[in-house]
Amino acid sequence: MPLLKIDGKEIEIKSGTTVLQAAEANGIEIPYYCYHPALEIVGSCRMCLVQVEGMPKLQVSCNTFVSDVSSDRKVDGKYDMVVDTQNDLVVQERKNILEFLLLNHPLDCPVCDQAGECYLQDYSFKFGNAHSRFDEAKRVRPNEYLGSQIVINHNRCILCSRCVRFTQEISGSSELFVEARGYNSKIAALEDKPLDNLLAGNVADICPVGALLSTDYIHKNRIWNLKEQPSVCQDCSVGCNVDVFSQKDQILRLTARENLDVNGYFMCDIGRYGFHRFEEIERVTQPMVRNEKSFDTLNWDKAIEKTADLIKKSNGKTAGIVSPFHTNESNFLLGIMINGVLGSLPPITKEEITYQSGFRISADRSPNHKGMNDICGGIVPDLPSEIKAQAIGGLYILDDGVDREMDNVWKEILAKMDFVVVQTYAMTTLARSANIILPGLAPFELEGTITNDRDRVQWLRPSLPTKGESRADWEILMMVMKALDKEEQTFKDVGQVMKVMGEKFPAYKGLSFFRLGPHGMSLNGKADG
Amino acid sequence: MSVFKPVLTEYIHQKDCHTFPFYKSVGGYTALEKVLKMNPEDVTQEVKDSNLRGRGGAGFPTGVKWGFIPKETNKQIYLINNADESEPGTFKDRLLMNKAPHQMLEGMIIAAYAIGCHTSFIYIRGEFYKEYKLLEKVVAEAYENNLLGDNILGSNYNLDVVIHRGAGAYICGEETGLIESLEGKRGWPRIKPPFPAIEGYLQSPTIVNNVETLSCLPHIVNRGAGWFKAIGPEKGPGPRLFCISGCVNNPGVFEEPMGVSLKDLIFDRAGGIPDGKQLKAVFPGGSSSAILTANEAMDVMMDFEELVEKKSMLGSAGVIVMDETVNMVQACLNIARFYAHESCGQCTPCREGTAWLVKMLTRLVNGGGKPDDIDMLFEITDNIGGLIDFSKGSFGKTICPFGEAVAWPVRSFVEKFKGEFMEYLPQEKVVA
Repeated sequence: MPLLKIDGKEIEIKSGTTVLQAAEANGIEIPYYCYHPALEIVGSCRMCLVQVEGMPKLQVSCNTFVSDVSSDRKVDGKYDMVVDTQNDLVVQERKNILEFLLLNHPLDCPVCDQAGECYLQDYSFKFGNAHSRFDEAKRVRPNEYLGSQIVINHNRCILCSRCVRFTQEISGSSELFVEARGYNSKIAALEDKPLDNLLAGNVADICPVGALLSTDYIHKNRIWNLKEQPSVCQDCSVGCNVDVFSQKDQILRLTARENLDVNGYFMCDIGRYGFHRFEEIERVTQPMVRNEKSFDTLNWDKAIEKTADLIKKSNGKTAGIVSPFHTNESNFLLGIMINGVLGSLPPITKEEITYQSGFRISADRSPNHKGMNDICGGIVPDLPSEIKAQAIGGLYILDDGVDREMDNVWKEILAKMDFVVVQTYAMTTLARSANIILPGLAPFELEGTITNDRDRVQWLRPSLPTKGESRADWEILMMVMKALDKEEQTFKDVGQVMKVMGEKFPAYKGLSFFRLGPHGMSLNGKADG
Repeated sequence: MSVFKPVLTEYIHQKDCHTFPFYKSVGGYTALEKVLKMNPEDVTQEVKDSNLRGRGGAGFPTGVKWGFIPKETNKQIYLINNADESEPGTFKDRLLMNKAPHQMLEGMIIAAYAIGCHTSFIYIRGEFYKEYKLLEKVVAEAYENNLLGDNILGSNYNLDVVIHRGAGAYICGEETGLIESLEGKRGWPRIKPPFPAIEGYLQSPTIVNNVETLSCLPHIVNRGAGWFKAIGPEKGPGPRLFCISGCVNNPGVFEEPMGVSLKDLIFDRAGGIPDGKQLKAVFPGGSSSAILTANEAMDVMMDFEELVEKKSMLGSAGVIVMDETVNMVQACLNIARFYAHESCGQCTPCREGTAWLVKMLTRLVNGGGKPDDIDMLFEITDNIGGLIDFSKGSFGKTICPFGEAVAWPVRSFVEKFKGEFMEYLPQEKVVA
């Protein structure tokens, strides 16, 4: 392996690694704008210039590859390359580039949504000049819509062309291009093809400055007011890694989080804007019991007591219904609790979309279909016949907030039941037919694991506080179990549930949140990746 | 005065010199016949031995460039004839295409044969419509006469030539910008490495040669590398077409050996400066070269090395002459404006810096000069193109040499005619 000396530090790296990558991996900061690990290298912003020994010009580190050189060409007899990222020449050159970038930049940080997470701002502070020498008129242009959800502020744009390359290389839709030339260059969308593909939101993520903005978030808040929580998107079975930005009990935006084993650096707009669904939904935040055509609220103790009574009275004739939207832990606990027939709510299926870059939106729009099948091995394929055969009289349903149109089969099943307990966070059609409603948690409130369609277990972390009296689903199930005198199964937290689950399902053995970490684990051999 | 017999332009004054029969009658395509019996490697070696250097502007040794083509490759190899002549003050390729198109084509076939290319392009400047129509005819004639197509002149060598018209951007004359444009993309120069000889057109090995460079090849083959090398300075020999324009009595293209004195070019070939005016400054190699003052110009040979020593360059050999009446600040603005207009906009320093220069110079010309302006002009040009110091390599700061192409001439104006720039500053400062 080639030996690189960078800022006096000796690093052995894989041949073909760029200086920029090597520096990044070793905690040496080289500023850059146009480089993006998922996109083709263009080397045009000139920000990542470094000094390479033996080269007369400063080199762009994003396009300088370290490889083995013959022994007579080694520097100091042993280094394949010697790089300085801190010398006077480099420091001065960064100042120069930043000066150029800021010439026509409006410096409107106080009203810019990017402020606080802006690379132009950060690098100017770190590497730039304190004042401007530019005495001429700035280039001023009005904002434009590039698509229905993306606005461009041309004045802030530094023409790094990441967004253009994104539409060419990742979404493959090529809506964006650079219009005109030189100083007049600007990012534009094709007249007859605006930026409206399902990956469009990513351009706002990858824009290093405040030029590309999602209309969904524009002027809503300041980034430093928001809590950032890594989590996983729950809008299809790919399970893109995301960061959830929230304030108090409100999600402001989702951005894609890097996970090379799942989604790369991107996410789709279905998931990006999907959280709004939970804002509109009619929430259930208190335990409720049916009173003729409506519901009475009641406290948890009573609700659990009533639930347990119903299950006990049914004499083992209660079936559990799990959901491909619930966590492995909840589905697992219901299985333990019911000890009998398990059915499942139907998964949601839509069009499968795969992009040339490999990015995909799965046809299976339920986040944990795979995990449900793994954990609830005994799901009966034909629920109506099983209900008939076993004379099932009650249902305990883990509802998932997806307001499914109940088909006749389900209507028939529900009509036949003596009782139906629905554990849910939303007043769905299913919940409306319940005898008892137990309020659980919505996505982004709950914690647990889900397994994506490529056998990767990932950690859902709570981003929002729980609402009203609603409780974690595993906790509710545990309370019911206790009331059912199944004392042998008590769990202090969801982590313990996971542990016990692992004892029962070898593929899941040894999992813990700690081991899952931010990027999850593959069940195949459990090794990362 | 001149005893030099033109090589490339020997027949341009004769009637029908552009036609196939004429070219054939003066020994045309005999070099090709000879080449087709040689090993391609030997052809490359001959060109290497001749020390022929590129006539487009950079002056890179042609044979060496060819040698960069990978020996073992299963990809197509491409030759592109760069006929996008767009350097201000340069109009020699156009002449060659008009008057000796078959000479250029023969050169192309020779080059293509040497590098193992079977599909070659002529990337012709969009504005050269007349030349384009002529070349279409020339290429058709070549196909008819078995000089292109399959089994050229009975050999088992095949070559196709495709003519592609540019769409009017200066930067498409830069070889990687040209390749992008030829691929149907924006003319944005590519970052190197990889170099075109490894990954050029369609990611395949590609050689880009200038019209004049290619036109030299039949003569090198026919008369030998030794003959070529004996014309002018050994490190950069051969005949060269000098385009003289600006304040001269007799502007035009003059073929002279490399190393001819600039004084002779201006005062002999181009007939000196009209109305007995004094020489003020000269661009020796197109508007991208740093200007020379009259004193410097009177004492310089038109040779790669010597002009580099004078911190300028031979470039495209487009000599632009300015007499004493030229306002250097306005001329400088004119140059800056051209480059700001033609900057592709890809690299930060060039996109932003060229426009800054124009804004600043415009303000200066309009009477809004500020005391720091001259220092700022130096700094901005240095930040765009880097310092002119060939001994340490050129300190370019952008993907392609466009940054230098604007920085050096603009800087040279300010440096060499600082007094004129000072006049545009607030007067008290000058007195102080």
